[in-house]
Amino acid sequence: MYSRIFKDHIEKPRNAGELPDANAVSEKMNPVCGDRLRLMFRIRDRRIEAARFLAYGCPPTLVCGSMLTELLVGKTVDEAMLLTRAELVAAVGGLPSRKQHAAALAIEALRSAIEKKNSGGKPAFPTPR
Amino acid sequence: MAETRKVYLDHSATTPVDRRVVEAMLPYLTEKFGNASSVHSFGQEARAAVDRARREVAALIGARANEIVFVSGGTEANNLALRGITDASLTRKNLLNGSSKSKGHVITSCIEHSSVRGISEELEKHGWDITRLPVYEEGIVRIDDLRAALRPDTVLISVMLANNEIGTLQPIAEIGSLVREERKRGRQLWFHTDAVQAAGRVSLDTEALGCDLLSLSAHKLYAPKGTGALFVRRGVRLVSQNVGGHQEREKRAGTEGVPGIVAFGMAAKCAREEMAERSEHESELRDRFEAGVTERIEDIVFNGDRARRLPHLSNISFRFIEGEGLLISLDLQGVAVSTGSACSSGTLEPSPVIQALGRNDELSRGAIRFSFGKDNTVEDVDYVLEVLVRVVEKLRQLSPFNKLSTLTNAAEGLPSR
Repeated sequence: MYSRIFKDHIEKPRNAGELPDANAVSEKMNPVCGDRLRLMFRIRDRRIEAARFLAYGCPPTLVCGSMLTELLVGKTVDEAMLLTRAELVAAVGGLPSRKQHAAALAIEALRSAIEKKNSGGKPAFPTPR
Repeated sequence: MAETRKVYLDHSATTPVDRRVVEAMLPYLTEKFGNASSVHSFGQEARAAVDRARREVAALIGARANEIVFVSGGTEANNLALRGITDASLTRKNLLNGSSKSKGHVITSCIEHSSVRGISEELEKHGWDITRLPVYEEGIVRIDDLRAALRPDTVLISVMLANNEIGTLQPIAEIGSLVREERKRGRQLWFHTDAVQAAGRVSLDTEALGCDLLSLSAHKLYAPKGTGALFVRRGVRLVSQNVGGHQEREKRAGTEGVPGIVAFGMAAKCAREEMAERSEHESELRDRFEAGVTERIEDIVFNGDRARRLPHLSNISFRFIEGEGLLISLDLQGVAVSTGSACSSGTLEPSPVIQALGRNDELSRGAIRFSFGKDNTVEDVDYVLEVLVRVVEKLRQLSPFNKLSTLTNAAEGLPSR
C-alpha cells in the first residue's frame, strides 16, 4: 500500500520535535478529519537553516511533515514557496487519492509559516519552553 | 531489543484455518466433489457430509440440525434474518406491495456490526421505523431502554451477542425472556442476535438465550472465509432472500458450498471441544497484555466493560496519537492489530462504536483492537508489549498534543496532559 520511502519515514521520522529558536511557525488542522501539522523553521538571510515538525493524524500526515522538513533544509525561502503538493506527493513515493489531503495540509502549513515571517507577523503559536 | 517476529493479534477480523479443518475439507474439493442436490452416489456423499456438518454447527449453539441454514457468511446471515423477518411480517399484513406510512418497527443497538447497521438504514429508507438502543460508557444495552422502546408494531429486535470492536457481551438471555413473555401475550415479535464474534469463544445455547435467529461465520472459528450460518428456530417464518432453488429448506437457494460447509462443521466441532481451554488461554494472554500496558504506558483508556466481554479481546485508546499511525508502525514490526480510526476505515468519521461509549474524537481515533487467538503465546504478548511501548513513545514525541504543547492545546480547548 505504501512505498519503501514512506515506511522508512514512518519508522525513522526526520526532524521531529520542537525547534526552540524557530522564527517561522505555523500549525494547520484539517477541519474535516482533525489531522494536525505544526512546522517550525529557523530562517537566516532568507534561507531555511533548520526545520522541525510535529504531527497528529494518519500516517501520510506524519510522513509529509517528515519529508517536507528534509526537503526544505538549505533551501531559500523563495525556493520553498515554489514547492508544490504534487512534488511532495512524488517525494514520499505517491499517496492514495483519499490521502492527498495530507500533502495539501503540509504545503498549506509551509506557505503560512513563510508568509507570516515575511509579513513580520508573530507566530500564531507560542514556542513552548 | 529482540528480533522482529510476526504476531497476529487480529483474530476478530479473521483466523487462520486449522490444520484439522483443512484436512477435513480437502477430499470435498477433489474426489468427493458431488453436488449435494444430485441423486447419484457422488451427490449422496456430499449430502451426507453437509448433514454431518449441520449437526456439528447445531451442536455448537444448542440447536437442532434442521434449524441451521448455511449461507455465505455473517453478513448474509444478518441480511437473511433482518430482511427475511421484516418481509414475512409484511406478507402477514399483506403490505408487501402496499404503501403505508410506516411498515412497522425494528429495534437494534447503536453498536451493531456494519452489516446490521447497513440493513437497518436500508429498511429505514423503505418505510420501517428503527430504534437504535444506546450503550452508555460500558458499551452494553440496558433492558429498561429496550422495554421502553417496544411498540405495538415492533416485529423484530436485533441485538448482537458480543460487539466486534470492544467485545462487550449484551444481555441476550434477558432480551430473550422478555420477547418470550411478549409473545405469550399474543404479540408477533421475533428476536435475532448476531453471534459472529461470540461463537467458539463463549458457550452458546439458543434455548437459554431465547433467540429466534442467530448469525454465525465460519472464518472466525479457524475455517475458511465464504461460509456462515443462520439459526432459524423451528416455526419462525422468514422470506428467502435468494430464490431459484430448493436448497436449505427453501430458505437459501443456491448449490451448497460443500467444502466450506464441511470445514465449518469440523471447526465447530473443534471449537465446542476446546472452547474452555481456548478461552482460558486467550484470556490469560489478554490479561497479561493489559497488565503490561497499564504498567508501562501512560494516558490510555480501556474501551468497554472489562468484566462483561469476550475473553480474547482488548480495545485501548492511546491518547495523543492516531490509530492508523500506530497500526502501521506496529505492522512494520510484524504486529497485526486493527483500529476504528477514520483514516483506516476509509470514512471521515471515527468508529461509531467507540463514539457510542461517549468518547471524544481524539480517543475514538486512537482506539486499537487487540484480539488474541488459540495459537498466540506468552512470548507473542511480551514481544508486542516491547514493540508497543517503543512505538507509542515515538509517536507521542511527534504529536503536537504531547505534554510540551500544553499551552497551545489549552488555548484551543484540546486535550493536554
